[in-house]
Amino acid sequence: MRNAILRLSTAMALAAVPVLSQAEPLKIGAAVYGLKGEFMQIWSEALEQHPAVVAGDVDLTIFDGRYDALVQQEQFETMITQQFDGIIFVPIDIEAGATAVEAASEAGIPVFGSNTRVNSDLLTSYVGSDDVQSGMMEAKYVLDAIGCKGNVVIIEGPIGQSAQIQRLEGNLKALEACPDVTVLERKTANWSRAEAQSLMENWLTAHPGEINGVIGQNDEMALGAIEAIKAVGLNVDDFVIAGIDGVTDALVAVKSGEMASILQDARAQAQGALDLAINAAKDGDYQPMSDIWALYPDMPWEDGKAKEYNVPWTPVTAENVDALLAQRQ
Amino acid sequence: MTNHTTNADKADDGQTVSAARAGWTNTSVMIQRFGILIALLILCVLLTFANEYFLTPRNIVNVLRQTSINGILAIGMTFVILTRGIDLSVGSVVALAGAVAASFATTSATQGVYGTPYPAVIAIAVGMAVGMAAGGISGVLVARYRVPAFVATLGMLSAARGLTLIYTTGRPIPALTDSFRWIGTGDVAGVPLPVIIFALVFLVSWYVLTNTRFGRRVYAAGGNPHAATVSGINVTRINIAVFVISGGLAGLAGMILAARTGSALPQAGVAYELDAIAAVVIGGTSLLGGVGTVTGTLIGALLIGVVNNGLDLMGVESYYQQVIKGILIVAAVLLDQSRNRRA
Repeated sequence: MRNAILRLSTAMALAAVPVLSQAEPLKIGAAVYGLKGEFMQIWSEALEQHPAVVAGDVDLTIFDGRYDALVQQEQFETMITQQFDGIIFVPIDIEAGATAVEAASEAGIPVFGSNTRVNSDLLTSYVGSDDVQSGMMEAKYVLDAIGCKGNVVIIEGPIGQSAQIQRLEGNLKALEACPDVTVLERKTANWSRAEAQSLMENWLTAHPGEINGVIGQNDEMALGAIEAIKAVGLNVDDFVIAGIDGVTDALVAVKSGEMASILQDARAQAQGALDLAINAAKDGDYQPMSDIWALYPDMPWEDGKAKEYNVPWTPVTAENVDALLAQRQ
Repeated sequence: MTNHTTNADKADDGQTVSAARAGWTNTSVMIQRFGILIALLILCVLLTFANEYFLTPRNIVNVLRQTSINGILAIGMTFVILTRGIDLSVGSVVALAGAVAASFATTSATQGVYGTPYPAVIAIAVGMAVGMAAGGISGVLVARYRVPAFVATLGMLSAARGLTLIYTTGRPIPALTDSFRWIGTGDVAGVPLPVIIFALVFLVSWYVLTNTRFGRRVYAAGGNPHAATVSGINVTRINIAVFVISGGLAGLAGMILAARTGSALPQAGVAYELDAIAAVVIGGTSLLGGVGTVTGTLIGALLIGVVNNGLDLMGVESYYQQVIKGILIVAAVLLDQSRNRRA
């Protein structure tokens, strides 16, 4: 709350500063699938903190898709009517978003994907992280820690969502290398901490003393598994637990040695997409302003012309966790 | 109080009626009266044979703990449905009260609103107050301004969720104090605190509905509001009170949830109202008001909890759980209607 007030007053102070740059700021819209989760909150904030937005070169509007493909489509129509210069798109649904992209493309507005894929070749560029890779990384961490033998459980995201499909693909790929490991259970907890907690409690009952590792396809569910282990009176140290995303609670849990997590860099995904959108609106007469390009040498700018920008995953470790936590303040 | 006796009969769940018909067909009366309880027992027996761990003390504790949050919500919902109302806002109130209480009980520097954490008692009192206030607003809209309960609480569902997101800036409130977390993770002699709270809520509600003047008036106001008004009952006040009870219990459930998961999550409790209504309906409370018991609701909530737990233990896909829950709800209402036709 205090945060919100602070942020609001900063925004007002910034608004009071006269715009010294170009006469007309670029109108860029960001259509995100929903703002209820912490990850998209961090993503949106990063977008607002992009140097071009802060300097007033870009007039940024963020649209909350409220987890509804139809709402997102209508927001696209609004942006097309208002002749936006570029659209950053984080779709709720990989298929349903394609129609919206097509409409914008027909109106001559370039669309840039960020974070979540959309099944359309009309996207100008996509900035995101490869979920197959994160799925592999987290599973490999768990398997290495249990010595490539024993039993694991997988807590999945909502079945059919692209992140669930790809993270599972990565999980299974890593498991192929360990034929001695049995997957005791595999079930969805819909990204939810509370659901994962009940599920894990029931699994601990069904397989007493047998579960060595927990592969949570996101941090929330891994955190639910930790709470379940504590709730039934077992020792978290006896389990190897991993999640994905690097949400704040997970960073805290990594710090106390309860789990491993892999950070998905929302800031790089958001600010990278905005740099690309500005670049397109200025017909390539632009140098990226965000510092993320310097941060990830593995992701070259390539004059903003590449179709795909792959933001690397960062494993959260005891060494970098304090710095990451400090960023969240 | 001319209608007192009739309503008292209803409060006893048709005891007098079934007693009068006892000689007619004992078994069919038994099935109607105890149908849900019998279904629960059969299910437990089946699961005991199907899975060696089902009937272990640890698993029973799990089922009770997993049922407690929905059970508490469902008991509040029972009060509202008994007066012909419905409370669709409980899921959002869970999140709002949980978040506000957590902001008083966190050691986090950024998400703690008031600097250092307050004693758990204060945080809990604030959370209860938030829940009761939300329920009170719905209640006044319904009882005084005649807004249909469905509409008033649909509005509260949306508004309370929005307030939660504003209050938390869309982020979890982490790092709750140990004393606050005790209500979700603690235990007394091996019985988890959520289960103890659930049991207390049940016992108090059962006593209030069956043994107090307020309880009789709840049945009267729901069974026949006109007759209740004529007999001098302040129906408006009763209707507000039931929403305050439902809101307060939603607040309590929200705090237990936050304490259990370790953080107050702004997206907590989404769609919890549906499970709560399901437990009430499965438990035999009529949506037409005036008929039903918290004992039925308790059994309804346990039935849902056992189904979820049993299918997890046996490794059945969660999609089947939803189908089975759907069948249970409809079957319970069918059973209820056949009872009403006979009566």
